[in-house]
This record gives sequence, structure tokens and C-alpha cells, in this order.
Amino acid sequence: MVHLVGSLRKELADSLSTCSVLVVGAGGIGCELLKNLVLTGFKNIEVIDLDTIDVSNLNRQFLFQKKHVGKSKAQVAKESALQFCPSANITAYHDSIMNPDYNVEYFRKFILVMNALDNRAARNHVNRMCLAADIPLIESGTAGYLGQVTVIKKGMTECYECQPKPTQKTFPGCTIRNTPSEPIHCIVWAKYLFNQLFGEEDADQEVSPDTADPELAWNPEDTAARATASEKDGDIKRISTKEWARSTGYDPVKLFNKLFKDDIMYLLTMDKLWKKRKAPTPLDWQHLENSACPQEDSPVSGLKDQQVLGLWGYCQLFQHSVETLRSQIQEKGESAELVWDKDDPPAMDFVTAAANLRMHIFSMNMKSRFDVKSMAGNIIPAIATTNAVIAGLIVLEGLKILSGEIESCRSIFLNKCPNLRKKLLVPCILDPPSANCYVCASKPEVTVKLNVHKTVVLTLQDRILKERFGMVAPDVQIEDGKGTILISSEEGETEANNNKFLSDFGIRNGSRLQVDDFLQDYTLLVNVLHTEELERDVEFEVVGEAPDKAPPPQSKPEEVNSITNGNKDSSQPSTSSKEKKNMEKQERENESHSLFIYFISLIWDLF
Amino acid sequence: MIDTIEKEDPVISEEEAAQYDRQIRLWGLDAQKRLRGSRVLLAGLGGLGAEVAKNLILAGVKKLTLLDHEKVTEDSCRAQFLVPVTAQGQNRAQASLERAQNLNPMVEVQADTDKVEDKPDDFFLQFDAVCLTGCSKDLMVRVDQLCSQHNIKVFCGDIHGYYGYMFSNLGKEYSYVEEKPKVVKAAPDSSDGPEAKKAKVDPNETTMVKKTASFCSLKEALEVDWTSEKTKAGLKKTPLDYFMLHVLLKFRTDKGRDPDPLAFPEDSLVLKQIRDDVLEAKTLSSDLLSDDFISYCFSEMSPVCAVVGGVLGQEVVKALSQRDAPHRNFFFFDGRKGNGVVDYFGPN
Repeated sequence: MVHLVGSLRKELADSLSTCSVLVVGAGGIGCELLKNLVLTGFKNIEVIDLDTIDVSNLNRQFLFQKKHVGKSKAQVAKESALQFCPSANITAYHDSIMNPDYNVEYFRKFILVMNALDNRAARNHVNRMCLAADIPLIESGTAGYLGQVTVIKKGMTECYECQPKPTQKTFPGCTIRNTPSEPIHCIVWAKYLFNQLFGEEDADQEVSPDTADPELAWNPEDTAARATASEKDGDIKRISTKEWARSTGYDPVKLFNKLFKDDIMYLLTMDKLWKKRKAPTPLDWQHLENSACPQEDSPVSGLKDQQVLGLWGYCQLFQHSVETLRSQIQEKGESAELVWDKDDPPAMDFVTAAANLRMHIFSMNMKSRFDVKSMAGNIIPAIATTNAVIAGLIVLEGLKILSGEIESCRSIFLNKCPNLRKKLLVPCILDPPSANCYVCASKPEVTVKLNVHKTVVLTLQDRILKERFGMVAPDVQIEDGKGTILISSEEGETEANNNKFLSDFGIRNGSRLQVDDFLQDYTLLVNVLHTEELERDVEFEVVGEAPDKAPPPQSKPEEVNSITNGNKDSSQPSTSSKEKKNMEKQERENESHSLFIYFISLIWDLF
Repeated sequence: MIDTIEKEDPVISEEEAAQYDRQIRLWGLDAQKRLRGSRVLLAGLGGLGAEVAKNLILAGVKKLTLLDHEKVTEDSCRAQFLVPVTAQGQNRAQASLERAQNLNPMVEVQADTDKVEDKPDDFFLQFDAVCLTGCSKDLMVRVDQLCSQHNIKVFCGDIHGYYGYMFSNLGKEYSYVEEKPKVVKAAPDSSDGPEAKKAKVDPNETTMVKKTASFCSLKEALEVDWTSEKTKAGLKKTPLDYFMLHVLLKFRTDKGRDPDPLAFPEDSLVLKQIRDDVLEAKTLSSDLLSDDFISYCFSEMSPVCAVVGGVLGQEVVKALSQRDAPHRNFFFFDGRKGNGVVDYFGPN
């Protein structure tokens, strides 16, 4: 005879009070999820989030109020949830899930893990921890009106990394430095400029004209020669942008004239670039100041930030923001470095102004601060209702798992409009694991194309193993019969190797590297394929994938392509390495789920 | 609170701009302004009601009236998150008020302890939209008819265990806008790029397209005639949830309450009988709706409230802002299968 406790079978209701579950993330999905778990009868819940509360969260993260701004999300979420169920046992961690304290043993405490994350690195990591601990993981994501939930179970379903996910869009250096054609190129340039002037200088974030642009030469040899020449006589390069700015006392007008007049005039001498493109028009501060007319303040019905200022308006904004940032940096001292933050008004003003001035120079329509902020800050629009639906679905899948009915679990997609079969919510059968998955296959293996004479060990560690392959603390051994240790996860042990080339260690075409991440209980065999022919600005290629390229402009977020990296405008690594480390703010990468799965749901639903 | 006639105060405050930033970036400033001028009535503060309340308050409507005559029971505390555990015996709307208000101090939230059925007709006229949960069929039909006569938008919804539905009636001539990408012919020296192309879809430029839709009354939606061969042929594509809804509404009418887990054996038998009666009255076979649903339709499941409350809340937001295509006219959610279907019932 069926015995119900509320809506649930008694056996299920009883198991809820004894099991433990982990919620990773206490933001949009996390708040809704915590509420649902507690009301459904889950008694033992742990929640972790490294973020603090921001006012822009309050439109949907309903466990937080204005008075909580600045506090820990996990902590406040716990306190608010306890309000409506004081008997629940909730533990909150204001911490990163990638902290080694949360090892496989930690994960094994739980019967179920639920992600409520907003970035791929953490998702990859939790994916591996759950595989290692053999615990079911419910993965989810939302963007605007769209959302998705899926279940990951080792050996039974695809893991999070079985399907290649589209990587973050990057732009070639010459596009950013010489020939921008879209507002996003100008915005990326402006963010680089911020770092060069006020933040951590990064060799990959040059803003000056690129004399080694391949377009400039008829012959490839010329390009190489030009590059070497400019490095040698270094008229532009020898002195760093920051040093030069310091020498002028961060004089806004001098900065303006260098960036928006002199450098543009230099670009104009590279006439090959302008044969088929509209040439940029340099700006002159004095001239603009003289011809500026006082603008009448027309009554504004829109948001102040949505106004597009005139050219002189952005000149003034540039000047003011430079002066403000200058005093910020002077207050902090000699070697001070600022970290760009979209919510820091002068930093945002600076990027808005610099990007717009550049857009004007390159004949593009200028953009409001509101729009620039979206693109520069990788903002994904978000509302309460989408998160509410997805969080409800997460719990329902969780209950199936707890009832021992994991075969009835599904991937479920939330559309904006019903599909041809009238479905707004589309359940799909879960796919089995991919045999070639470089994470969950029994002996994961991958082949990487790179130049062993030009790739240094540090690049292998940071760009390839950590960024691309999602490891947190890799240990690398060369399979050379001697077991040579190339990289040790112990701090300091192999630091001396960082700037040496791979070839210095005898690594060549066909070499194999055994890479372990002990925290993730993950071993990956990396086959090295040596090549001298990689595309410009490309450091390595994973064989079996197309090289990272800037795809054509995507459609609006609500349409088909939207839930890829989340935001159509998510640009080149919009972060300095410091900003990445300083992962206190949300919206670091903003992607939700793979394009693949979404397309499949549109064409092929099973019910 | 002084009510002014103007629907849209042109100026959005900095506080609102900061708090609503992420949703303004989704549905635009105009939509947000319309929400800001809207008054909504929400009847029933059970699990579904609380979800809808939360969603509308967070969205930033001008005023939300919580109408509920029921008292808080021990179960109510488990069922929804607005009622404090110490509030037993209090009126449910009043007990929910404080937490509801704290969700967004910029919205005016009010509690009303009367019964819906006792409200005079003109009570409803002060609202732009009315949302009914936990109401009997006759009451919903009556309120729906009254409101739509006065161009007030009507929404209904309920949760029964793992199942839930919502219904909407936005009137015979509901007009709204949809944002579509603009196809522009690039002029030689302007637009978003120096490279001129023949005709370019600029993904950042959009245009608002006006559309209309027509909705029928709840009465018409529920009284679809299944006797003809033509409608019977359409059964294959018809969500069975529609018939389940009839069964549950009839249970509510006959028993004055919803199926009670503590009375599971007796109520299951009643549900079976009502299923047979309802289908027979519609000249349909009782095989159409198997017994399976019966043990899964008790009480209000929190995650199901969240799903249906999310969809319903968003429909209200869309209708108040007159933006984006409304779901027409039912949404059915099956929490066991994860299926969410939109379908139209009513005269063609």
C-alpha cells in the first residue's frame, strides 16, 4: 500500500532526512535550489560559494537583501534558508570549490552533488571530483529566458567534458591593435589599455600598433624580419606603455594625443592595411576642444547610462577617468596595480571612453556606457523565473536519483517558446559516456600540437594543462624511460623549469607526457606533436579540434545560438591573470551549457 | 499611499537601475517601466502562490495584493517559504507579508484576509492582472468573466503533487511587441564597421514588431466539446493533463478541499470515481486517463511549485509589459517526466 508523506512516498521522504547533499554555488540558481531542497525535506545540506553579494544580484537571488550587500553569499543563503526551516542542518563555506581541502574524501560524504555555477573551470573541476568519488552530479545553467539541467553519473552518462565545448572567443592581436572592425575589438583594446596603464602589464595585451602584422608584408619572411627589427630598435616597444605614461605624469591630454592621434597616424603609414578598408581618422585634442559646443541637457527618459555621448563628451570622460585612476594609483604607491572591475565607476568610465574614441576613429557608431558594460563585463542578463524553473527541475531529478530511478533521469531544456511539439520543457534521454573522452575514458589520452622549441614549461602548465585541460595542480612526468619530472604541483619544486623550452628536456615529436592531478584523481596522457606551423597568436592546438578562431557575429541571446559561452559578446580573455586570480566577482566567464546539446534538443525531442 | 493616474513615471531611479540592471538588460527599460506601473492581485498563498508572489515582487511591479482567508497550519510552514514557523493560527496572507515585502522594498505589498468569493465585483477593477490559485472552478470562471470584460488580465494555476498547470486569458485582442534583429542595408560611410557589405544583419540592432493574439474565457477553455469525431481524432495530440485538471477541479468542488495524504486510501477511490464520471460526461473512455496519476497528485510539491510558479510568474510579467509572445492558453507540467507543454483549449 502506498504510504505518502506530503507528496512523496514514505521511503523517499525518510531518505531525505538522512542523506547529505552538496550545492556548489549560492547565486541565482543556488538560492532557488536551497529553498527547494529545504522545503522538499532535505535535512543535511552543504553549500559553498566564494562570492559576496552585489546589488545587481537582488533582482533574483532572493535569499539576499540590500542590507547583505558585501557579505558572503553562502553564509547569508544559509541564514535565510534556516529562517523557513530552522531544523535543517546547513553548512556554509565561503570558499572556492577548487580548494584542495575539498578532496575526493570530502565529496564522498554526499549522496548527490548539484552545481549552481557560472564558470567552466569550476564545472570541469567538480565534474572530475564527482567522477573520482563516483557520486552523481546534477549540472545546470541559465541565461536570460533559457535554461538546462542534466545528470552526470560515472560510467552511465556523458561527463561534463565528453562533448567539446566551444572555447571563449579570442581575437588576433593585429585586429585589436591595427584593424578593429567591430565595437568589441575596441572594447577589448580599451581593457588592454587599462592594464597597460594602471594594472598588471601583460605581453599578450599590447595596444600599440603592431608592426609585425602579417598583412603588411607581401612575403612572410618580411613579417619576421620586421618583427625582429622592431624588437631590436624598439622605438615603440622599448619603453613600456606604463613607463611612458608615468614619465608624462599620466597627463590625459598627452595620453590622448599619443593613443588617438600619433598612434593612428602611424597606422596610416601602413598603407597596405587600408587598401581595402576604410582608413582610421586621428583625433586632435585641441581641435576638438575648440569646436566643442555646450550640449543642452535634454530630458532623459532612458537610463543615464544608455545615453550615447558626443565625441567631446567621451574626450572629457577619458580625461576625468584618467585623472581619477591616476590618483587611485598614486594613493596606493609606487608599484601599485589596479585590477579592472566593471563595477568600479572610473575603471568602467575609462573603458567606455577609450573604446568609444577608438570606435569613432575607425568609423563605428559609438556605444552607450550601458552597452559597453555588457560587452566589457561579459554580463549575462538574468531573471528570477528562469532560475526558479531550473532549480525546481534539479530537485526533481535529484529525487529520481534518490529513489533509485536514475534511468528515468533526463536532460531537460527550457525554451523561450514552445517547440513544434508544443513543448516548453524538453526532456531528452541522457547520452552514454564518450569513448574518447579525455576525462572519463578509462585511459584518457590526448594529442597536442605545439612547437617544442618555442613553448616554455610555464605555458604548458598554465595555458595547456590548467586552462585548456582544466587541471588545478598538475604533476608532469616525461615518459622518457627515466621518469623525468617536468612539473611538480609542490610549490617551488620545479620553478626553475618554468622558462625553459620543452625541447631543453628532450621533448620532441612523438614524446609522451604523463600528467596527474592528484586532487582530481585524474591522469591524462599527452602526446606531443611538434609543428613549426601554427597560426599567428596560436600557442597550441588540440588535435581533433578546430583551432580557436573568432567566429562570425552571433545572434541575440534569446535565439538559438545563445547558450554557448553564455554571452554573444564574451570577448578575448577579458581578464588579466591578476583579475582571474582575484575571482571575487561573478560573471568571470559566463557560459552556461554546450551548443551541441541545445541544438539537439531543438531538432530531436523524444517525447 | 497616493495613487496617481499615470502608468509610467518616466524617470527610473538610480536605485532601481542598479537593482534591476540584469533584467533591464533582458527585457528592456520600457518593459520595466510598465511593470513599475502595474497592480496585481494574487489569490492563495500556498506553495504556488508564494512562488508567484516572489517572482512578481522581484520583477518590480508597483503593487501586489496578497489575498487569502486561510489560516497557517503546521503543513503551511513546510509548504512555502514566506510564512514563519511561528505563525501558526495566523492568517496566511498576513503571515506572508513581512518576508514578501523584504524581497523588494520598492514594491508595495499588501495583505487582505477576505475570501475571494466574498469580494464585490468592483474590487477586482483596481488591478491590471489577477492571479488565482487554490480557487474552485466556479469561482475562477466567475472572476475570469468579470475581469476580461474590463480588460483585466487573468491567470489561474494550481499544483497537485507532481503535476501543475497554469491558464491565461489576456482578452480577445491582446497586443504585444517582439524584438527582432534588424536587417540593415549598410550606408557607405556609417554603421558598425568600415567594411561595407550589401545587406547586413547587425546582431546588435533590433526592431520592435507589433503582434496580436486572441484568448478565450476559462469557461470556454474548460467546456471543449469532445463528442464530435473531429475533436476525438485530435485526442492523440492532447495532453492528458487537461483531463486530469478536470478531475482535480471536480474533487475540489465536491469535497471542498484537495486530496489529502492523510486520507490517501479514501481519496484515491474518490479520485478514481471522479475520473470515470468526468470522462463519461465528456463521452470519452475511462481508459484515456489511467490510475497512475492518482498516487502522485497529493499535496503541493515544492519543486513543482517552483517550475509552474516560474512559468506563471513570467507570463504575468510578459503580459504586464506587453512584450514577447504569451503562452496560449494552458501550460501543463508533469514533474515525473519533466515535460512542460503549452496548448490551446477553446473555440477556434
